[in-house]
Amino acid sequence: MIAHVDVERLQRDLEAIVGPRRLSMRAVDLDTYARDMWPRLLLRYREGELDVPRPHAVVWPEHVREIVAVVKLAREHDIPIVPYGGGSGVCGGAVPIFGGITIDMKRMQQLRSVHSDELICDVDAGLNGERFERELARRGYTFGHFPSSIYCSTVGGWLATRAAGQLSTKYGKVEDRVAGLTVVTGKGDVIETDGPNRALRGPSWTQLLLGSEGTLGIITSARVRVSPAPQLRVFRGFEVDDVATGVEAIRRVLQKGLRPSVVRLYDELDTLINSFGSKDDPDDETPIVRGPVPAISSGALPAWPDPPRPQDDGVIDRIIAFAKGRTSRKVAMNAALGKSSAVNKLFGVVEKVARRGCRMIIGLEGSRIRTEIEAALTFHELETAGARDKGEDPGWAWLAHRYHVSYRMSPVFRDGAFVDTMEVASSWDRLADLYKSVREAIGQHALVMAHFSHAYADGCSIYFTFASTAPDAEGAERIYDAIWRDGLEATTRVGGTISHHHGVGLLKAPYMVGEHREAMAIFEAAKASLDPDGILNPGKMGLQHRRRST
Amino acid sequence: VSDTDFSLGRALMLAVGYENVEELDVNNYRVVPGSSAEVADVIGRASAHKAAVHPLGAGGRPQRSADAARPRVFISTKRLDQVLQLDEMSLLVHAQVGLTGLELERILSPRGLTLGDYPPVVLTSSLGGIIAVRTPGKSSARHGFFEDAVVGVSAVLADGRSVHTRVAPRRSTGPDLARALCGSEGTIGFITSAVLRIHKKPESRLVAAYVLPSIDAAISAVYLALREEAAPSGLRIYDTAEAAMHFDGLALPANHALLCTATAGPTDLCACDRDLITSAVIAEGGTTTDTSLADLWWRRTHAGEPSPGPSPSLQVMATPSKLRAVYRAVIEEAKTNKCTVRAHVSRFDADGAVLFFTLLDGNETASATIVAACERAAGTAGGWLHGARATKLDAYLRALRDAIDPDHIMNPGTLA
Repeated sequence: MIAHVDVERLQRDLEAIVGPRRLSMRAVDLDTYARDMWPRLLLRYREGELDVPRPHAVVWPEHVREIVAVVKLAREHDIPIVPYGGGSGVCGGAVPIFGGITIDMKRMQQLRSVHSDELICDVDAGLNGERFERELARRGYTFGHFPSSIYCSTVGGWLATRAAGQLSTKYGKVEDRVAGLTVVTGKGDVIETDGPNRALRGPSWTQLLLGSEGTLGIITSARVRVSPAPQLRVFRGFEVDDVATGVEAIRRVLQKGLRPSVVRLYDELDTLINSFGSKDDPDDETPIVRGPVPAISSGALPAWPDPPRPQDDGVIDRIIAFAKGRTSRKVAMNAALGKSSAVNKLFGVVEKVARRGCRMIIGLEGSRIRTEIEAALTFHELETAGARDKGEDPGWAWLAHRYHVSYRMSPVFRDGAFVDTMEVASSWDRLADLYKSVREAIGQHALVMAHFSHAYADGCSIYFTFASTAPDAEGAERIYDAIWRDGLEATTRVGGTISHHHGVGLLKAPYMVGEHREAMAIFEAAKASLDPDGILNPGKMGLQHRRRST
Repeated sequence: VSDTDFSLGRALMLAVGYENVEELDVNNYRVVPGSSAEVADVIGRASAHKAAVHPLGAGGRPQRSADAARPRVFISTKRLDQVLQLDEMSLLVHAQVGLTGLELERILSPRGLTLGDYPPVVLTSSLGGIIAVRTPGKSSARHGFFEDAVVGVSAVLADGRSVHTRVAPRRSTGPDLARALCGSEGTIGFITSAVLRIHKKPESRLVAAYVLPSIDAAISAVYLALREEAAPSGLRIYDTAEAAMHFDGLALPANHALLCTATAGPTDLCACDRDLITSAVIAEGGTTTDTSLADLWWRRTHAGEPSPGPSPSLQVMATPSKLRAVYRAVIEEAKTNKCTVRAHVSRFDADGAVLFFTLLDGNETASATIVAACERAAGTAGGWLHGARATKLDAYLRALRDAIDPDHIMNPGTLA
């Protein structure tokens, strides 16, 4: 499968471009760049399986002209190129399945300018998300994009996958915030899209390149829209009887034209599991940091994620804690997750008995006066729709803990289980069907819970978290694949989209034709135009694999 | 029997019926299909004859072709005038593209729904025209850009294949393929219908009028209010000459500006937005003035009351930091050419705003030479002319078209 490469010649040629210090062919680097955070790969690594595709070389360019030279070289050698950002993708999008050159973008990390009149800024693709937001905060702005991966993802990665942040309801997903891109195409040209934005006729190349996950071009920098840093933030917890009531309440708020920054509705199981953690725990001594405004120096981010503390390790550990009772973690987890369909059913009963209802977090932020008024209208609308006000604490607690989950995956894998998340979305009229179908589909194989976040006037995304276990890696992969197959097929069946913000990569590539049907012809045509030799991140996104040599 | 056994005219009649085909000239036809299936059939048959396919919207007229020998089919969207689905729960409408924006608005209105606060003059075009051609100003400060309201499109490709992009509030499954079709002017596919985001009619609407000491101050006041997150449904700045012409000789002090605003939404927010604008105006040294001016402006733009002519000779889009410079450059240039000039600024959105200049050189309108000189001045100052085209990616668009339409039948000559 992997192209034959004259490694020595490749090394010589790459050194001529980036010099010896920004090129590596050492095994440890090639291993590192062979994967991202796709849980299926983690399953393999857990088993010590090292027979996975690796790049032939990794380079760290510092200038666009170096990327151009590398692309031209790759064309000459007829070998693939995979752009690499933070490596935090969860779909295998950065896995070099045909080898080739992996371009790590992280040395291109300038926040070049903020045009305050226009509320736009020019930023390099390799800039780390947290540093980007802090730099902006220092100047009195925010990009408004806070994915849970913010500490380990890059601006370019966000753009390449159409990522979403936790405050997407107000600020939009990343693709809603882009005015233009600078991209190196598969032909080795540098192109700039939409300079004066929508002033010029012709199709939107920006929207064609956003989300292309390195298959149409290498995004080197972007012109993005920023907002003034919020002057006021308001958070509130609510409780509703069931998912349907909560969903209806959220829809009413958004269709009234109100724009909270964050809306999260946890289903019964998610609510129950969350309540096992520290948040409702009287022994929890976590100080709740309250607004009104975080110091400008810290921007909208907490200082850093708190060091993991034994008693509160985020939702994932709570699933396990819930399962283990007084026995050892591993045994209990196997017992609980191994019979996940039974557990899911059990929770059906527990829900009815416990009547805990569903937890909801609502937040608003922005300019002082308008946010005050919008918050009052929002809370009133929620209460009219049957939500019960639980005060500010749950909201601020969410804000304080919101980055925890993402850093707690490895221990779970160590203990022989696996977890992953599936984020699907649909318009409001299909949302109830989507929730029911996907939950049933995953529930046959794993413990599954969900929350509704990223709400818009016309629809909402559902974020399913599932956990399961298997005696060996082969069995785990079988269950894992079955979960995704059944979950995504259920999504397509009810008319939802198979990904709201994680992207496609390898994981969802087989489902792209079901998602786009005949419209894939347009994607294929764009590929033929921008990357005629098929060297850019080949084998991804359900595109037909075209290589010059074949 | 294959398609090429028939003449093109006969093939088209088989597709859409005798009464819906008109022979304009030798081998030039206008067809009026009544469904997307018929459009697919027409394009499939045109493709077999390697005939060029040109879409025709509400105001479109068949154009002469440079390549006289090539058979051509003009496809009118006139009969594609149905609302296919109205999803009041998700606030989405699936409408065929032959409907004009205003016709669709009339269908939505009795249900308490609206397309949004886009400039009504934009909505006089058919949806196909609005979506397929990207020009500045199809936007509102409150609802954003019209193309952002497009959630999905159905289109027919050169080989007669129909594509339907799937509807989702947002997605992360590759490029936005619907947005590749938007703005492509029929060169990638013939758009037959679109799913659009719609809105509930606002609870309240308020208008207000202000006088400011200069155009610059008025522009600053607008951006000050927008930064405070005011989301007005309409904004317009008139210079002194334009105000006098539009408001029956209204005499503003020299070099002053008139700002008319409209806000909409839940009553409290609507009033809040108006107050934010008022505060910004006061901060820039302005005052409120007679609200009836704003009422008249709103009736003219939204209720069909006639505006004093002639219509503007020059439309220029500029980003927020360039608006003032573009305004000054054009005014100076017009004066140098001994031309009377007046202007208003409207269509404010995240990208900037559009300046509308009316040039008069004693006669009804200024000569083409003077307009061209003013256009150059505007361009030099950093503005973009209405209808200007991006050319730097032409090679890639050509390659994309080659891949999806190897015989170049889809609207050849456009965007090329």
